[in-house]
Amino acid sequence: MPARRAAVIGGNRIPFARANRRYARASNLDMLTATLDGLVARFGLSGERLGEVVAGAVLKHSRDFNLTREAVLGSRLSPATPAYDIQQACGTGLEATIAVANKIALGQVESGVAGGVDTASDAPIAVNEDLRKVLVALNSARSLGDRVKLVGKLRPGQIVPEIPRNAEPRTGLSMGEHAAVTAKEWGIGRTEQDELAAASHRNLAAAYERGFFDDLVTPYLGLTRDDNLRPDSSVETLAKLKPVFGRGDDATMTAGNSTPLTDGAALVLLGSDEWAAEHRLPVLAHVVDAETAAVDYVHGRDGLLTAPVFAVPRLLERVGMSLQDFDFYEIHEAFASTVLATLKAWEDPAFAKERLGLDAPLGAIDRSRLNVTGSSLAAGHPFAATGGRIVATLAKLLHEKGPGSRGLISICAAGGQGVVAILEGA
Amino acid sequence: MSLAPLYAKAAVGAVLPRRGSGLPADEVVRDDVLVDRGHVAEYARVCGFALSDTLPLTYPHVMGFALQVELMARRTFPLPLPGLVHVRNRIVATRAIDAGELLRAAVHAERFVAHPKGAQVDLVTSISVEGSLVWSGRSTYLARGATPPPGAISAAADELPDVSDEPVAAAWRVPADAGRRYAAVSGDVNPIHLHPLAARAFGFPTAIAHGMWTAARAVASLQGRTDDAVAYDVEFRKPLRLPSRVELRTRRVDGGWDLGVAGRVEHLRGTLRRSA
Repeated sequence: MPARRAAVIGGNRIPFARANRRYARASNLDMLTATLDGLVARFGLSGERLGEVVAGAVLKHSRDFNLTREAVLGSRLSPATPAYDIQQACGTGLEATIAVANKIALGQVESGVAGGVDTASDAPIAVNEDLRKVLVALNSARSLGDRVKLVGKLRPGQIVPEIPRNAEPRTGLSMGEHAAVTAKEWGIGRTEQDELAAASHRNLAAAYERGFFDDLVTPYLGLTRDDNLRPDSSVETLAKLKPVFGRGDDATMTAGNSTPLTDGAALVLLGSDEWAAEHRLPVLAHVVDAETAAVDYVHGRDGLLTAPVFAVPRLLERVGMSLQDFDFYEIHEAFASTVLATLKAWEDPAFAKERLGLDAPLGAIDRSRLNVTGSSLAAGHPFAATGGRIVATLAKLLHEKGPGSRGLISICAAGGQGVVAILEGA
Repeated sequence: MSLAPLYAKAAVGAVLPRRGSGLPADEVVRDDVLVDRGHVAEYARVCGFALSDTLPLTYPHVMGFALQVELMARRTFPLPLPGLVHVRNRIVATRAIDAGELLRAAVHAERFVAHPKGAQVDLVTSISVEGSLVWSGRSTYLARGATPPPGAISAAADELPDVSDEPVAAAWRVPADAGRRYAAVSGDVNPIHLHPLAARAFGFPTAIAHGMWTAARAVASLQGRTDDAVAYDVEFRKPLRLPSRVELRTRRVDGGWDLGVAGRVEHLRGTLRRSA
C-alpha cells in the first residue's frame, strides 16, 4: 500500500459521436484540447501549472507524436505543465490514470490529468508500404542515377494507401472475430448479449435524465449527448439485427451488441488530498490499486479480450478483497459477449483451478451493480477515451454512495491485454 | 460562398461615375445568422485554430466581409472596390461567441478621411446576440490616389509597437496556394491573392497572402493564452508574397500580447489586449 492515495477530483468528456458524423472534421488534437479546456473551466484551473497531463490515442497521425503536450500548449493550462503520450489500445485511458495516480502516491507530483482521445473519422491514412520504401530510399539516394533507378520502381498499384484496420497484426482477425471465438467457447447466447446491450442503453439514458452527466460532459460541436445512445432500445429490436461477427447459424454478435466506431475524448483530474483542499476542490474517490495482465491469444488458449479475467484475481489477492466486495462494477463493453464471457470465467470452478490457480472461483456478481449508468455499448467507444469516461463515472457513483464504497474497473484491450483498477469512495 | 459576382459588379461599377462624395448612411444587415459548423471547421483548419464550440476570434470578420463587399459594390459608395488596400483592422470581442448562437451581422461605413496617399475609410462589422453587441471589427481601407471629401480630417498615423527584437516564436512556411485556400473559406477572392498572373495585373510580382489570414494565424498561435474579452488590433505593413517563409514574434505585456510577422520585410504588427 502506498503512503498516500491519489484522489479522483472529477472528470470531463465530450459526448461521444459515431464515426463520420458530428465530429468528422475534428482531429484528435481538437477534441483533446476542447476536453482539456472544459476540464480547466470546470475546476478553475486556468493558468495553473499541473504536475503532468498524460493521455494518448490509438489511431494517431505521425504528426501527433506529442499529441498531449500539443493539447496542453493549446489549452488554458499553464504552458509550464509537462505532458506525455501513452498508448495501450483500449486500456490507454485507465493506464494513463494509473500512471498519474502512482506519481501522486509517490509524492512526485501533486496533481495531474489523465485520459485519452480517439477519432475513427479523421484516421491516419499512410502511403502504401512499397511506395514508402521507395520514397525513403529516394530521400537518401546520392546520385542522379540512383534516383532514376528508384523512380523506375514506382508502380501504379503503390498509390493504394494503407488504411488502419481494426484487426490484430499477428492474427489478421478483427477484434469482433476474436470476440466471436471467445463467445462460442464460453457458450454466450444471443439473448443475454442483447439484454446486456439494452440495459446499457437504458442505464445511460436514465443517467442522462437524472442529470448524472451534467458535471461530467461538456457539449462539443453542437452535440450534447452520445449520439449512439438509443433510449428506446429493447431486446426485441436488437433481436432483429443480423450477426456480423462469427460464422454459421450460431453466430450471435451483431452491430447492436458490439460497440460502434466512435469519436471522442475523456479526461480525469487527479490530485493529492492536500492539493484538492488547497484548491477547494472535492475529492470523489481514491485510487486503491491497479493491475495489468496479458494473455497469449496468438498461439495460446486465451481469447484476445480475456486478459482482465486474469488481472482481477491477482488484484483482489493483493488487496485482500473478494469479487463480491464491490458496490459497483464497471466492465468495459467492447462487446456484450466479452462482458458475459468474463463473468462466466470468474464463475467457472474448473477455469479457476486450472487457469487461475485458485481453489474456488471468484463467483458471481450482483448484476444490478454492473455498469449502472451504461457503458460502451450505449455511449460508444473511442478507444483511448473509454478509460477516462469510466474512471470519472465510477468516482462520481462512489461519491454518491458515500465514503468507503468500492468500485472495480475492468477494461480489455487489443494485443491481449487487460487493465483493471479499484477505486474507493471519499 | 463566392463573392466573385459582387467583385465583378464592383469592377464594372468602378469605371462608372459615382454618386456623391460622402459615405452612404445605410447599413447592410443579416438577421438570424446561424454559422455553418462545417465552414467554421474549414476556416479553423486554414488559419490554425483548434476546432471548438466557440468561434475563432477572427471568424466573424469573414461573416462581415460579404456584407462589406455588398456595401462597397453599391454605386453610392464613393471609392472603387478594386484597388482598395486593407491597412488596419481592429477587433473588439466582449465575450466568446458560441457556434450555436443566432447572430445579427451589420456593416456600415464611417470615417471617410484624408490619407497622405489618398483617402481611407472604415467598414465596421457589428455582431450582436439578442440586441447586445458581442463582437465588432473595424476594417480600414486605403484608396491610393483617391480624393477625400472636402474638408476631411487626416487619418491618425499611430503605429503599433515593434517586436522585431524579440526571439522568434514560430517560423511559418506559407505555401503558394495559401491565398487560394484562404479565399475559399473567406470569400475574399480578390485576384491579387489567387495567382501570380492575376496579381501581376494589379502590379504585384507574385500573389500575396490575405492580411486577415496572417492576422488570424498569428492570433491562433495564442489560443489558450488569451482572454475571451479582447481587443485585437493589427496593422498591415508590406505585402506577404507567396510562397514565403516568415517568422512570428510575440511579447507578453501587461494585459495581453504584442506580436509581429516578418520575413525579409515586415508584414504585420498587432496588439492583443484584455478588454473591459
